[in-house]
Amino acid sequence: MLARRTYQFLIVYAAGLALLLGLKYLAGLSDYVIPGPLLVWQTFRDVYGRYAADTLNTLSVAVLGQIVSICLATAIGILGRQTTWFGNFVKVAAYNVQAYPIVALAPIIFILLGDGFITRLVIAAMICYFPLLLVVLGVMSEPVVEIEHFYRITGRMRWQLEVKIRAFENLHKLTTVVAGSATLAMAGTIVAEFIAANAGIGYSIRIALYQSDLGKILVALFHIGISLSVYQALLEWAGARVQRRWEAAGGDVAS
Amino acid sequence: MQISCDDIALSLAGAERPVFTALSFTLKGPGFHALFGPSGVGKTTLARLLIGHVRPDAGRVSIDDGCLRRLYAYNLERLPGWSSVGRHLEKITPAQHRARCAELAAEFGIEPVLGQRFARLSLGQKNRVNLIRYLVQDFDLLIMDESLANVDERTREQIIVKIKALFPDRFFLYISHNVIEVARFCRQVLVLRGAHRRPQAVTVPGLDGRGGATVSPEMEKAMLAIMNAV
Repeated sequence: MLARRTYQFLIVYAAGLALLLGLKYLAGLSDYVIPGPLLVWQTFRDVYGRYAADTLNTLSVAVLGQIVSICLATAIGILGRQTTWFGNFVKVAAYNVQAYPIVALAPIIFILLGDGFITRLVIAAMICYFPLLLVVLGVMSEPVVEIEHFYRITGRMRWQLEVKIRAFENLHKLTTVVAGSATLAMAGTIVAEFIAANAGIGYSIRIALYQSDLGKILVALFHIGISLSVYQALLEWAGARVQRRWEAAGGDVAS
Repeated sequence: MQISCDDIALSLAGAERPVFTALSFTLKGPGFHALFGPSGVGKTTLARLLIGHVRPDAGRVSIDDGCLRRLYAYNLERLPGWSSVGRHLEKITPAQHRARCAELAAEFGIEPVLGQRFARLSLGQKNRVNLIRYLVQDFDLLIMDESLANVDERTREQIIVKIKALFPDRFFLYISHNVIEVARFCRQVLVLRGAHRRPQAVTVPGLDGRGGATVSPEMEKAMLAIMNAV
């Protein structure tokens, strides 16, 4: 998983770089607009360590934001699975709210909370929360009739068992969406850092942007891509492991 | 014990034609009864009506006090995949029925697969496991909707004989397409004939296990009566 994710990123990154360099030489652009390979390499050597630390900083906020949004989405998804008015209300609200571009609310959070960690965390969590919620809601509101029937008709069904059956039957879908939402959490954190931060790789990109230093931006993108590939591969590995272990050992919720 | 339907009318949402228009019948007493009829005639819908999952548009379903604990088992059910069949049966079997569960597992031929996951079993084994978990519950009426599908004929016979011997005081309604089986083992066979026919359901007496393994004239008569009713 890790190797596949990493080389896929490297191929895309190399293709993007080649495209930029091709454009530079075709249009005869100066190093100021698009730096040459040597200049990019030099920038890489200059800022590699600092940008690696910044990327780790961003990644740690993204991971935390993702954890917050997974917990929230699970809780709301479990509440919203019910066919009561409250469940329907949660579902309709979630579908309507997710249609709004949440990133547009980032400035409000910046105004209310200012620069710093909390603002980055809230924006990251908000951006990856809704796609997660929609999948969790979808999974939790869809009865697995052919399994649940026995528990219902014999009066054994409890909400914990219902959640367990639905989660187990859709484990692959859930682990895939969790791995996929890592990108959104990272994007959310970087957006937050563009707007309201004094640390992180997004903040470094903003400074590089003010300096019109494309070399630094390319190095930052490299770090973001590699760290995200590793993180996603880790999530996929963890998801596959959970799936295998659950299938092998089994849980013990009143079944 | 008595189940009766009086002038039931029912149309399912989105269906072009009603399933039932004036369905009336009475099935009396405990024992092994059958619900027979061509595919799509409404056997499963009637089963769902009897357990209260569907409400009729008109008419009345009456089930007396002797049949208060009603269960409905069907052949597409699955067990959760996180534990073995044996562990699942252990957890869902009330303490007072543990011995019965072991007895049924042995009689139904699923003892060797108790350590396996449900998904690994053959269709026939799945249906037998599913049936056992209903038989170890407390019930008065059990509707078995093709619960023995994909089980070979010999084993099916053994299972029905065993059920009849173990539960003489319970009410079973066995949905099957096998005319020989229902004629031979069932006490009454309720034949559903479709919404356009009058009457919509006819009750034919079965042999209720009498008559042995060979096709006797009595059994031929019962089978003929069932097929004529369809």
